[in-house]
Amino acid sequence: MSTAMEPNHAKRRKTQHSREGARKALGAVASSGGLSKSRAFILEADELLEEISLDYGAALEGVDDLLRRIKGSIEAIEPRESLPVTVAASKLEKKHRIRVPFPEPRPAESSNYKVAFAQPAQFNVVGSYVSKTMVKTQKDHSVDMVVVMPAELFQEKDYLDMRYFYKRAYYLAIIAVALQKDFGSDADLSYEYLNGNALCPIFSLRPKLLKDTEAAKEKEAAGLLNYRIRIIPCSPDAVFPKTKLRLGAALLRKGKEEDAEPSPFYNSTLAAEGCFLPYLRLLRQAEKKCAAFKSACILGRVWLQQRGFGGDLSEGGFGNFEWAVLLALLLQGGDSSGHATLSGSLSSTQLFKAMIQFLSVTNFAEKPCVLGAGSADLDSAIELGPVIYDSSRQLNIAFKMNPGSAAQIHQHAKWTRTLLNDTTADQFTPSFILKSDLALQNFDLVARLNFNDEFNGAVNSDCRGKIWGFSDKVYKVLRAALADKELGERARLIHIQNPRYPQWSLTENPSFHNSPVLEIGILFDSVNMARTVDRGPAAGPTAEEKEECDRFRAFWDEKAELRRFERDTIRETVIWNSVSAFDLCEEIMRYVFRLHLRVGHVDDEVTFFGDSFSSLLPFKPTDTSIYYEAKKAFSVFERDIRDLEDLPLHVRNVSPICPELRHASAKPPSLTPSKSGPRPMEAVISFEASGKWPESLVAIQRTKVAFLLMIASLLEKSKPGKIKAYVGLDDAKSEAENLSFLDVVYDSGAAFRLRIHSDLEEILLERQVKDKSLEQHVRTRTTALLATFRRQYTHLPLHGQSISTSATRFPALSPTIRLLKHWFNVHKLAYHFSEEFIELVVLNVFRSPYPWDAPSSASTGLLRALLFLARWDWRSEPLIVDTGGDMPMADRHAIGTRLEAWRKIDPNMNHTVLFVATTHDASGIAYTTIDGHAKPSKVVAARMTALAKSACRLVKEEGVELDPRRLFVPSLKDYDVLIKLNSKLTKSILKTYTTDDPVDGGGDSTGRSKFKNLDERTGQDALPLAQHPTETLLKQLNEVYAGPLVFFHGAAEDATIGAIWNPLMQKRGFRVNLPTSYRPVGKANDEDEGEEEEEDEEKDVVEVNREAIVAEIARIGADLIESIDVKRL
Amino acid sequence: MAPIPPTLGDFSVLPISIPPVPSFPRTTIHYVYVRRNAPKVPTANNSRSLFLTNVPVDSTELHLRGIFTALVGAGRFQSATFEDDRKGAESLADAQPAQVARLHAHHQTQLSSSTSSQKKRKRGEGEDAERAQEEAAARLPSTWTRPLHGSGGTAVVLLADEKSIEQVLKAIAKLHRTNKYPTWGDNVEQSAAAVPRLGSVWLKAHSRLSYPDRDALQAALDAFSTLFARKEQEAAAMAKRLRNEPDEDGFVTVTRGGRNAPASKNEAEEARKKMVEREEKRKEEDVSFYRFQRRERKKEEQADLLQRFEEDRKKVFAMRQQRGKFVPEA
Repeated sequence: MSTAMEPNHAKRRKTQHSREGARKALGAVASSGGLSKSRAFILEADELLEEISLDYGAALEGVDDLLRRIKGSIEAIEPRESLPVTVAASKLEKKHRIRVPFPEPRPAESSNYKVAFAQPAQFNVVGSYVSKTMVKTQKDHSVDMVVVMPAELFQEKDYLDMRYFYKRAYYLAIIAVALQKDFGSDADLSYEYLNGNALCPIFSLRPKLLKDTEAAKEKEAAGLLNYRIRIIPCSPDAVFPKTKLRLGAALLRKGKEEDAEPSPFYNSTLAAEGCFLPYLRLLRQAEKKCAAFKSACILGRVWLQQRGFGGDLSEGGFGNFEWAVLLALLLQGGDSSGHATLSGSLSSTQLFKAMIQFLSVTNFAEKPCVLGAGSADLDSAIELGPVIYDSSRQLNIAFKMNPGSAAQIHQHAKWTRTLLNDTTADQFTPSFILKSDLALQNFDLVARLNFNDEFNGAVNSDCRGKIWGFSDKVYKVLRAALADKELGERARLIHIQNPRYPQWSLTENPSFHNSPVLEIGILFDSVNMARTVDRGPAAGPTAEEKEECDRFRAFWDEKAELRRFERDTIRETVIWNSVSAFDLCEEIMRYVFRLHLRVGHVDDEVTFFGDSFSSLLPFKPTDTSIYYEAKKAFSVFERDIRDLEDLPLHVRNVSPICPELRHASAKPPSLTPSKSGPRPMEAVISFEASGKWPESLVAIQRTKVAFLLMIASLLEKSKPGKIKAYVGLDDAKSEAENLSFLDVVYDSGAAFRLRIHSDLEEILLERQVKDKSLEQHVRTRTTALLATFRRQYTHLPLHGQSISTSATRFPALSPTIRLLKHWFNVHKLAYHFSEEFIELVVLNVFRSPYPWDAPSSASTGLLRALLFLARWDWRSEPLIVDTGGDMPMADRHAIGTRLEAWRKIDPNMNHTVLFVATTHDASGIAYTTIDGHAKPSKVVAARMTALAKSACRLVKEEGVELDPRRLFVPSLKDYDVLIKLNSKLTKSILKTYTTDDPVDGGGDSTGRSKFKNLDERTGQDALPLAQHPTETLLKQLNEVYAGPLVFFHGAAEDATIGAIWNPLMQKRGFRVNLPTSYRPVGKANDEDEGEEEEEDEEKDVVEVNREAIVAEIARIGADLIESIDVKRL
Repeated sequence: MAPIPPTLGDFSVLPISIPPVPSFPRTTIHYVYVRRNAPKVPTANNSRSLFLTNVPVDSTELHLRGIFTALVGAGRFQSATFEDDRKGAESLADAQPAQVARLHAHHQTQLSSSTSSQKKRKRGEGEDAERAQEEAAARLPSTWTRPLHGSGGTAVVLLADEKSIEQVLKAIAKLHRTNKYPTWGDNVEQSAAAVPRLGSVWLKAHSRLSYPDRDALQAALDAFSTLFARKEQEAAAMAKRLRNEPDEDGFVTVTRGGRNAPASKNEAEEARKKMVEREEKRKEEDVSFYRFQRRERKKEEQADLLQRFEEDRKKVFAMRQQRGKFVPEA
């Protein structure tokens, strides 16, 4: 005996120890209250409580009266003498046409025990109605009334073989008969399962709302809810000995005493039947002891609800009741020594945080959580399901949970804890406001599995219905396949959503509306999920190893094979054929389903969702390696430059500044010769500080050109034949801007574009900006130049670094960025947004992923990025991306203040719209104000938000069946003018040669020889592409028509340019310098909105000559424009 | 639509018929507004030039010549200057060292205008032309065969003589009676030599011209460095002169530097920056030495906390104003 006790003791000590740790952590959480963000959290939570609190008087008017009437009519029921169970049921059905809602399996015809009805021992209203913890926003409002059945109806052995539940069902049917008689006309009556528990049918009564009467309307306006009253029969306390109902007992014997399996769910349901009133008392005590208890329960209810948890079996079996009881137990004496874990003087937010802390350190599915003094032997019970054991009432509160839901709530609590510890983030909104239970936003893979009726419950379904047995089995199989610790967990979370039982009418048997389907969600571990080889146990000679191998083989069956690995280890191995993480997961799931569930051999049994996202872009698994190759090519380039000996200045840095070199371009870089000229990847070079730069901006730019010419010839000399260098000219508008760049083309196909950083340039610009003696327009221009300079030479190199590092840290970052860029492209927004902005938005989703963890696939990443864009109120909130990870609070404050200042100066947001600050750039406008103009402008930013909102709406409405392509359908009907380009012709001018006649631009294709070998250009290297012709055209158009038109365009290859007329340019008075082409429309009197009032009462009025403008565009584009579709002039 | 008024203020309205093109098969009318050129600073030619506003964005001299030929016959049109061209001409003037520009400005405000204008006059027209030529040589090659003009832009057209102006204006007035508008692009040969074509050829030429010949580039750079060296010399000379020249109140401007040349402004800035940095560092170091300093700091922190609390309150209040911020999403 003592030896048997030994390990038990050890375990208990451990539990105690971990509880001690939890208590300390709780204390720490409770005492932290000094930080600004957490104070804001408290204020916001108080506001939330106030906002959602229910006005019971108005919302549930007449409930008490109704309850009294119900009680009256139940009390008036005549007692019925005992009859054999089946006889009584059929009699009831014949006479009142009401079915007795017997649980499955229904009592056998031959059953000889008897059922009866007698006056209830007690009535009581329980639940959130009495504890006043209902809120406005909960899904449905119900008032629970328990009817305690008298003890004399039951016999000692009724706890066995569902006899209690048969009696209870009959009792309920009798009540239903009576209530149908009294309330059938003015209320909707139905049966439903209590929390989806098929053992416990209950009676629901929903008062019919009187439509169209004055009184009803008034009441509705006052907030009257469409509530229902649930009548719950329950057993008197201690009618069955608690010891008989322990978790491991096998009470469903069916006559065979020996080999019956334990029925923990049945046992706990039976135990819970007697606990309604004890728990009511417990909650009352907690309310008395702790003033904030109620509010903490409401916060908990909101938190659970936003994450999709609820008391229903299908919602995870952890709802507000469990939350409240757990909290009450922690307040009362959570410890085994009887000490309270939480103090009653804590505030509601502190209690909430403490609960989150508790849930995040306790995984009910892994170790039994015992609350209260005394202990039961629960270590074996944990095998059967999650355990939260209330020792004083001897009930497992978590009996409705399953291992999956316990893991999920644990995970969510961990995420929320991280959020609550992150003092820099907005803690409130992700905790309570965001609805975070959408499958596609949560999980990287979602699958639907049809419930197979032929699946005979080889596993014990424990009275929860066949589907639960099935779902348990699915979970077990998936866990073994995807979350095995030995193999390296592929999945961080496996979630199975079971269908929910609907209410059913009194005259029918319960059934699902449709054929039941399990919804499976998998959260990837992005590194492990991409693994193609699973290394199992080593095949060794010892018995232990053999056993391991046998188990492995038993699970994986024919897929398992022996392989030799490095250092001569021989292991059991499973090899998979797919390449991407998603496909791997699908392959594995299909395989194990087929093997262990015998489903999936027909393809329609299981459907997978979420993959089509990656098929939207030509994502190839090889893309990652192309990015690495580009980086490698860049380092060769850097070395080549550093190796140049005759440079007058020492090279300090060569930094990449383009998306291709930070894993972030929508299309992977092309490193091989293609149809177009080489597309160089941009970089900047900086030299040691030198006093040799001339003290003039213009002269510095010229010196840079000379410098580039020098580098060009040196490079070509250093590797003759391998490198071609071309000095190109920027389309500079003034001589003080950067004038030129150097394109270096390697014979391997890689090409780079280099610009020179001069430190003196920045100093001169800074000085000019500060110089008050200069004219205002000069200073404005210089400010823009300085911003461009800083972006180009300071911010972009740092940005490149931070994105590159993050891309290695988060494998899903790069595909998410690319997918979001694609989204911006198809919606023709890309032209208005800098690529860096999009990258920062995605980075923010990964760095500050609350209420989740960082996304582990592109699909979740994209959906959450869209969610962010839809919710971001850029008018009043800055986007702060802490790229360095150590931004002090004071800096964040300063950034917020700066935004406020901007909005005060520029309330119409003409100059500054989006405000995005990073660790390196506190100005907030490095990537959103280009050349002194807001990029995007307010109109375009609003369009982005609108598009993101409609995308999110679609995601919500469609659920998992969403076809991702629908998120990527551009709506062309919104544009006033559509310019369609001739894409074939565009492609033909992607390549130019040095021998092309510069004036004629290479002439027509007719001028060229028909035969390739006679063409003088064969074998010649094409010039690099300075800029894509479409982009050049668009840039020209935008420069010319910045006033009247706003252009929309996506990627360079996009052959359609959209445009809308600027609504602000209306009819106006004529003056000399008009901003665009106007036509006269006659005279008008003073009422018009001309800017300059003239003394003349009659004014010449002109309006934008839109037709002529379109004609001009047609002339500029000439043969390049296929057609112009004008919808509105 | 109301009839087109023949004049707007002192401008004559010149309607131009735009022929349809395949991508936009409609005939449209563009309106150019014309008046006699009357610049603020009169030039030698302003009596025989016209001021045009709202010229089409793809205008070239040849296009305008075509229009004027249609109006008053051949031989009257001499040349056209576009607004953007004139702007471009100024840009190289900035090419002097920043410091010189400053000194120059300083100098000019101090000395009465008489001396400076005298100096200017001394230079003479011949020298100006020479300089212009030099600057043109120093300019980098253009990347466009045919630059576009800003929408609604202006141009100045020089005609043969003053009489032509009258005739043009009369012809425009007549247009409104006959409704026979001149057509855009008439009498213009669209070819490489005359007017470069737009569209794909134009864009391709731009791609090509973005990579100019290295020698041409080098030549432009050389021309620039000669120009710049001379300006630098002038600047040095002026700075030197300024050091010893009292202004009208008898003060001498003090400039940094040794006997030979004024110090580089750059160095001065840097020295100042260093000093400021040193100062700040020192301040930081002895901020918590005395008790009163610590006490004050504590007070400040408290005040700061209080202030932030207020801010939070305000924020929450502002959030409450926006409805729905505190309602959990469904």
